[in-house]
Amino acid sequence: MALPDIYTEGIASGWKVIDAAKLNAPQTMQADVAIIGSGAGGGVAAEILALAGLKVLLLEEGALRTSDSFRDMDEGRAFRELYQEAGARATSDGAIAVLQGRSVGGSTTVNWTSSFRTPAPTLKHWAAEWEVVGHGVEDMKPWFEQMEKRLDVTLWEAHNPNNSVLMRGCKALGWEAHAIPRNVRGCWNSGYCGLGCPVNAKQSMLVSTIPEALRHGATLVHRLRVRQLQHADGKITGAVGEALRDDGRTPSGTLVTIKARHFIAAGGAINTPALLLRSQLPDPHKRLGQRTLIHPVVLSLAQMPERIDPFYGAPQSTASDHFQWKDGATGPMGYKLEVPPIFPGIGAGVLNAFGDNLRKEMSALAHTNAVLALLRDGFVEQSPGGSVRLADDGSPLLDYDLSDYVWEGVRRAYLSMAELQFAAGAKQVRAAHLDARYLGNWNDTRKAIAELPLRKFRASLFTAHLMGGCAMSENPKRGVVDSGGRHHQVANLSVMDGSVFPTSIGANPQLSIYGLVAQNATVLAKALRG
Amino acid sequence: MHSDPAEARGLLRREFLKVGLGFSLALTAGTALVGCGEAAKTPAGGYAFLGPGDLELFNALAPAVVTELGAFDAVKRKALVEGVLRNVDATCAALDLGSRQELRKLLDLLAIGPLRYVLTGVGAWNEAGIEKMQAFLARWRGSRFATLNAGGNVLVKLTSSGFYLLPESWPSTGYPGPLEYVFKAVNS
Repeated sequence: MALPDIYTEGIASGWKVIDAAKLNAPQTMQADVAIIGSGAGGGVAAEILALAGLKVLLLEEGALRTSDSFRDMDEGRAFRELYQEAGARATSDGAIAVLQGRSVGGSTTVNWTSSFRTPAPTLKHWAAEWEVVGHGVEDMKPWFEQMEKRLDVTLWEAHNPNNSVLMRGCKALGWEAHAIPRNVRGCWNSGYCGLGCPVNAKQSMLVSTIPEALRHGATLVHRLRVRQLQHADGKITGAVGEALRDDGRTPSGTLVTIKARHFIAAGGAINTPALLLRSQLPDPHKRLGQRTLIHPVVLSLAQMPERIDPFYGAPQSTASDHFQWKDGATGPMGYKLEVPPIFPGIGAGVLNAFGDNLRKEMSALAHTNAVLALLRDGFVEQSPGGSVRLADDGSPLLDYDLSDYVWEGVRRAYLSMAELQFAAGAKQVRAAHLDARYLGNWNDTRKAIAELPLRKFRASLFTAHLMGGCAMSENPKRGVVDSGGRHHQVANLSVMDGSVFPTSIGANPQLSIYGLVAQNATVLAKALRG
Repeated sequence: MHSDPAEARGLLRREFLKVGLGFSLALTAGTALVGCGEAAKTPAGGYAFLGPGDLELFNALAPAVVTELGAFDAVKRKALVEGVLRNVDATCAALDLGSRQELRKLLDLLAIGPLRYVLTGVGAWNEAGIEKMQAFLARWRGSRFATLNAGGNVLVKLTSSGFYLLPESWPSTGYPGPLEYVFKAVNS
């Protein structure tokens, strides 16, 4: 029984979906609101604004890829078609791999469904330290509830063996651990969230808010790269987009002019600052593209006696905050422990080995567990995050350095993960680090981790969470936008994505974006309807 | 070409120590020595990013990084290596300008004969053999210079991921392929 494809049916019923690769003459598109980017922020904003009766134009650089093209359940296709830079995006020096989505639905099309509310200490920190108003714990509660209901966020208790390792290890050690709420409806427990859900169970923007916006008259234009926002006298007067060819990268030469009363930048924390930088918007306090937070991720690998099959089953369903807040929001680096799925292609990259070592480790993949630590950056002065700047052609470059404060957190995280894996019964453990070798007991591993040189390119570093760069603050000297996401210097421009976060979240950020954008877009809808 | 390899080596070492081994500076030093780069300016036929010289490099890297390629017969091995090259090419072509330029610098650097020999111990890629290629990778990744670590890592990861994305690699990993009951349901 082949599943019906939402978009095939929707387009047949009259949805306005334009593939810019098929445009061969310049044109002008008009709307009340133009939203640039169709991920967690753009998707939610599109639905709320369209339901409010506004004419919405949703613009996406990536292609429209739907369940019909996810049916092969193939990792290589997913990287090529659904990820920024085919899954090979990295910081400017190549030291930190960046996993970020790039298709209609943005990263929500490929994320692993973890749906946490913004932790209370984070919201309190924003109010106390970043002059953020209206987003306290009580303020946000109804918006998280609304989005949890909208996207079927429910606690997932059927942990696959990979996730069970984390739960078991934490229990044995008396560490805090919890099941993760996931945004799924009728999940088949396949494990293919990261490759595009083949059964439309994941309630990504692709299958939820964007179709609803389309049912309410919104227009979706994909394979259109917005190059520039034009502005005069503190107002955006229009935007220029370049249509891309079928390859989804090369401009075809066809330009699209966008006119709207209001513009929303929602391209994520790398592409949104880049768009604003390219547009040379006013930035009197030099805040734009600064403080990019990424939850730097390090991993620990374990050989388990039981079969783990780290590619199958709900990919991420357990987590531990044992080391996240124990010294408060501003103590030594806190981190959240989770588990990533491992398919062969990305697995080879994570193992970062060659020759007989690679062969041996790959042949043990089915018994391999990985635990990851996502480090909560941006809460103290010693962790200022990175910054986004532009390459010669206007594409983004992300610079990110790790201070001694962060590296100290990395070492503790390696220790925690290895201790946890041995407590869960691991036969051998090694950090994902060039100088780490598999060792058979906790004592030797602890000593080895203490000696590991902590430097870029020796420690394998990743990020899947891009935040900051257009921080919100009521104080224009500290933020690019106000607490409602409105640009401080430009009247009809909002930013609605992870780039408004003044610090990292301290948990997977999708629900933080959904809740905040639901709140801010609702206020904006009222303002625009007048 | 520079006539005295020993002198070139000395010069290069000094340059490298001085600049802390940025690829762009190394490349400047290299091209100054040899007059001009031998690097491919245009992709090889049917490829979007890799030039003929790059293909030789990855042809030599593939069996060194992925030793299980040796378990396949020659015809199959050739097809698999081509699959690796296709995957590497697709990834490189999708990179934004910043990464594409960095990678191009690395590949151009490795395309300059004398520099290649000094930096990798390899004269010609197609004559190197598995052991020499592995020694080169081990040396780069073991170096105290971050730039060589970076280069070693990216060559290894492009090649290894390029292979393990191929379905033919899966049996050796224990990955049975797309989860059967879901795959059957959505493809029936």
